[in-house]
Order: sequence, then C-alpha cells, then structure tokens
Amino acid sequence: MARIALVIGAIAAIVYPIPLQLQGTTYYQTVGFLVLVNAMLGVGWNVIGGWAGQFDFGPQVFFAVGAYTSALLYVKLGVDAWLGLPVAVAAAALICAVLTYPLTRLRGHYFAISTVAIWMIAQPIGATWEFIGAAQGLFIPVKPRTGVVASALSLQFSGPTKAMGYYYAALVLFAFTLALMAVVERSKLGYYFRAIRDDQEAAEGIGIDSRLYKVIARSITAAVFAAAGVLYAFWALSVFPEQVLELNWSTLPIMATVVGGIGRLWGPVLGAVILIPISQIMSTTLGTGPLAGRGIDLIVYGLIIIVIAAFRPTGLLSLPWSRWFRPGPATA
Amino acid sequence: MTELAQAVVNGLQMGFLYALVAVGLTIIWGLMEMINFAHGEFLMLGMFGAWWLGAAFGLEPLLAIVPIALVMYAFGVLVYRHLMRRVQGGDPFTQIFATIGLLFLLQNAVVAGFTSDYRFVNDSLLVRLGGAKLALLGLTFAMPLLLAAGLALLLFLALYLLIERTEFGLALQATSEDRDAARLVGIRPQRMFAVAWGLGAALVAVAGAILVNFFSVYPQVGLQFTVLAYAIVALGGFGSILGTLLAALLVGVIQSVTVVYLPPAFKDAFVFASYLLIGLVRPQGLSGRF
Repeated sequence: MARIALVIGAIAAIVYPIPLQLQGTTYYQTVGFLVLVNAMLGVGWNVIGGWAGQFDFGPQVFFAVGAYTSALLYVKLGVDAWLGLPVAVAAAALICAVLTYPLTRLRGHYFAISTVAIWMIAQPIGATWEFIGAAQGLFIPVKPRTGVVASALSLQFSGPTKAMGYYYAALVLFAFTLALMAVVERSKLGYYFRAIRDDQEAAEGIGIDSRLYKVIARSITAAVFAAAGVLYAFWALSVFPEQVLELNWSTLPIMATVVGGIGRLWGPVLGAVILIPISQIMSTTLGTGPLAGRGIDLIVYGLIIIVIAAFRPTGLLSLPWSRWFRPGPATA
Repeated sequence: MTELAQAVVNGLQMGFLYALVAVGLTIIWGLMEMINFAHGEFLMLGMFGAWWLGAAFGLEPLLAIVPIALVMYAFGVLVYRHLMRRVQGGDPFTQIFATIGLLFLLQNAVVAGFTSDYRFVNDSLLVRLGGAKLALLGLTFAMPLLLAAGLALLLFLALYLLIERTEFGLALQATSEDRDAARLVGIRPQRMFAVAWGLGAALVAVAGAILVNFFSVYPQVGLQFTVLAYAIVALGGFGSILGTLLAALLVGVIQSVTVVYLPPAFKDAFVFASYLLIGLVRPQGLSGRF
C-alpha cells in the first residue's frame, strides 16, 4: 500500500511540470519548487527536532552558511554550484558541530534559546561583514549557457525553462535527502537519536554519549539546510542577510513537520505539500485586487493553521489512514 | 566614565519596561510551560489599543491601561479555552505551530483594520513631559522613562505578591509543579491555565500601553520584543518573578552599554552572547528554581 503511494507520488512529482511547461505557465512550477525546498528543509529539521527531540529554532543560520559559501566560491573563485555544494555542506556541518557542542550542556528550553542566540548573533555579523558584502550581500551573475546539460551541470537556468530547471534540481536534491534520511532513520544513529529523545538518562545509562549524538543530529540538519541554501542562492541569484537569515526558513519547515507528523520521515513532506500551496494560492487570490496589502490572505492562512492545530495536534500522519484505505472490510 | 554610568542608568530604566514585557511570558512559558509565539502580538494589541483609545476618544494611555488589561485578560482566557487547551494534548511543537497561526491572524487582522503605517502617540502625559530631566550625581534621568519605570516596578511588585504570597498564587505554582497532585487537593488545572493565559496577555498588553510613549506602533512591532522576552525569561530561570526582573534589568543595561561601543545592530546580539556565556557557566539561569 505504502509502496504504491510512493510510486504514484514519485511519478506525479516527475510529470507535474510538463503540462504546465507546454501551456507556458511558470508560476505553478515555482510553487512546486518552494514546496520541494520546504519539504527538504522539513525532512532535515526532523532529524534534530523530531528524532533527537531537541528544540532547534536556529537552523536558518546554516541555510545562510550554505548560500554564502557557494556564492563566495562562485563569485570570487569561479567554482560552479555543484562543486560548491559539497564544500558548503561540509562547512555548515563543521561550523554547526563546533558551535553546537558547547550548547549541548544546556537542555530543553535553555537549549532552544541558545539556538536562537546563535541566529541573533549571526544577523549583525551578516549585515556588517564586508567580505561577504555586508547588508547588500552578493550578486550571482548568470553566465550564458547553451543547452540543457550545460545549464543543469552549472545549476544556472534562465529564460522560459528557468522555473522547470530549478524544479527538477530541487526534486533531485529533495529525493537524495529523503533517501539518505530513510537510511539514517533505520541505522544505529536513528535509534540513538530517538533513545535520547525518549529518555536521555536511560540512553546515557546504556552508553550513548548524548552530547555527541545531539551534535551529530544537528549537524545532519545543518547539512540539509546548507544544501537547500545553495539551491536557493542560485535560484534567487543573490544572497543577502535579511533574505537568507529570515525566520521563515525555520518556522515554515517546523510548521510543515508539525502538520504532517513530527518524527515521521514523510511527515514534513505531507506538511509542505499542504501548507505551501495554501499560502501561495492565498496570496495570489486574496492578496491581490482591491484588498491587496491588507493581509487578508494571511488572516485566512492563520485561521487554517489554528484549525489544523486544534483539530489534530498530533499531526495529519497520525490519522488512521491505513484503516481507511485498506482494501476489504475493516474488522476492529 | 560618566558616559558609561549614564548608559547603565538608561539601561536600567529600559530594563523595568522589558521586565513588564517579559513577565507575562514568565507566567505562560516559565510557570505553565506553554509556548506562545504570539507573545509580541499581544504586546502589539496593547500598543494599538492604547494608541486607538487615545486617537479616537482622547484617552490618556496611562488610563487606558485599565480597559486594555480587562479586555486582554478575557482574550487570553479565550485563546486558552478554545485553542491552547486542545493543542496541549499533542506534541509541544504543536503549541509553536498553533501560536504561529495566531501570530499571522492577529498581526494581519490589525493590518486589515489599520494598515501597516507607523503610528505615534504624541499627546500623552509622558510625551508632553518629554524634555523634563532629573539631574542627580552628574547623571540625568529623563522624566518620562523614570515615571514609566516606576509604574512598571509597582505593577511588578503587585504581581510578585500575587504569585508568591496569595493562595491563588500558590495554586498556580502547584499546578505548574504537578498537575495531578494539584487536582487531588481541589485545584482545577484547566482553570489555572486559563487564568495564567489571561494574566499573561493582560500584563504584556499593559506593557504595550506604557511602551507606546517610547516606541512607534505598527502591526509587525511584536517580534523583536518576543525574541527579547524569551531570552529574559530563560535568563531569569523560568517562572521566577524576581529572576525575570533581574534578567530584564541586565538585558537593558547590556543593550545600552553595547551601543556606546558598537553599532546599534549589535545590541541584541550582545544580549544573546551574554545569554550563552551565562548559560554555559550557570545552566540553570540567574536564579533557577528547578
């Protein structure tokens, strides 16, 4: 049952942009791109938040580290995005490990605020550091590419195929992340993370170094955020502090994870598929026209979120889907 | 040297206002362990309430405190009864999710009603006192800030007595310690949570009504205060009323001293750097109870 759903979902995700491209609309492909980016971030955040059970409100710092690293490599040294990607991911994971190890002395809410603290300190640094362009940030010039292959290899799409190109790039990165996290979930690492979440003392009792594995969990999250940051930088063609350090880069993935089902591999994916299109459609329908700029779209969006939270506080994947969709009469 | 001492004095006065902003969160988050991302939006509602009552009816913001506190108390109780009580059964992260929804709703309801323009209160008692200063030992105390700080301190004392010295306060603390044991001795936890949300919302809205004298009012004003309030409550050691006051004063001083030496962009960064430093040396906060 689950396998059939997976195959259908994969085919739908691959085919999705083609009729749109033939029709000449790029808007819904950009929505798809945003869904995939946020789903990927959610899958990454699920490692520290859902499995290791640590409140992390500051992963956007590593989104920024990824975006800046790849942009710097490209602008200053001419290194292409795909080559910059592993460097950016490694840099983010390393910086995260160094910063997070001392923070793991703190627990619960104290740890949560310490992740906010790193973000609050990163913001003025990003806004004043001349080497990374200070408040103006960095612009990523587009080099003219001929052919699909050259565009894909350099992660620079332009013209009418821009939206489709980045959609598929996001799909590749998302699928890779999801597959990798599926492996982590079933590995020894995944069990250690959940053991720490469920009972840190007991986990330490059986010899799990809780501080070390919290650092590993957060570094995995940071790596995923950095990879998404690289993709976003080349899509937006610029990197500046207010954009890549925005709070939305953590709240949206966290919300997607909570809606879908926290701690479940597919939870964030379901959440992103539901939340991102709603917010996009709200802003293009209710956010335009005579009432534009009056926040009507966000009022409705807020209401929807409140209703979902009040209706199903444990997430939508916790609903008895298999009982509803299992063929044959349900015998309880 | 005088510059530094003056910065400390200014910071302390600001600190009293921050204490009032944060203490509502001390009750909701510190004491009752519920997360409220819309804390700053409650503050914003208080600010808008004070501005609107002044603009529409000519009511002095300091007198507007009374109706604002009553309305926001009812609003806080309502939010708990109809939203947070249901959410309480799920993962703690669901509280974040629900209150982010509340944040979107409140912020944009105000945008819809009043637009995103910046508003200023320029006819209040404290604003008219604007230039008045008190000089003492070579330091100057701006009268408006001094009066506001005094008022904040007074409210703070009343709250401290309420939580620490009355039977009601004990019942609130008992619920936060052990919900089931509290129920055994006849305390109704649901009611305590509702009162806590009401008190928290009322307190932060009152803080807003005082802050309109010093800050411009706009729908997105809340977030900066929310972030600071969380740091203050954590520094103060969760649920400790006096700890919150101490931490808020410290935050005010750190901010104003930072600005003497560094660009203003760094003032919050230094607050959080101090949080990390203190947290790593003293993981239970300045006056942790737990």
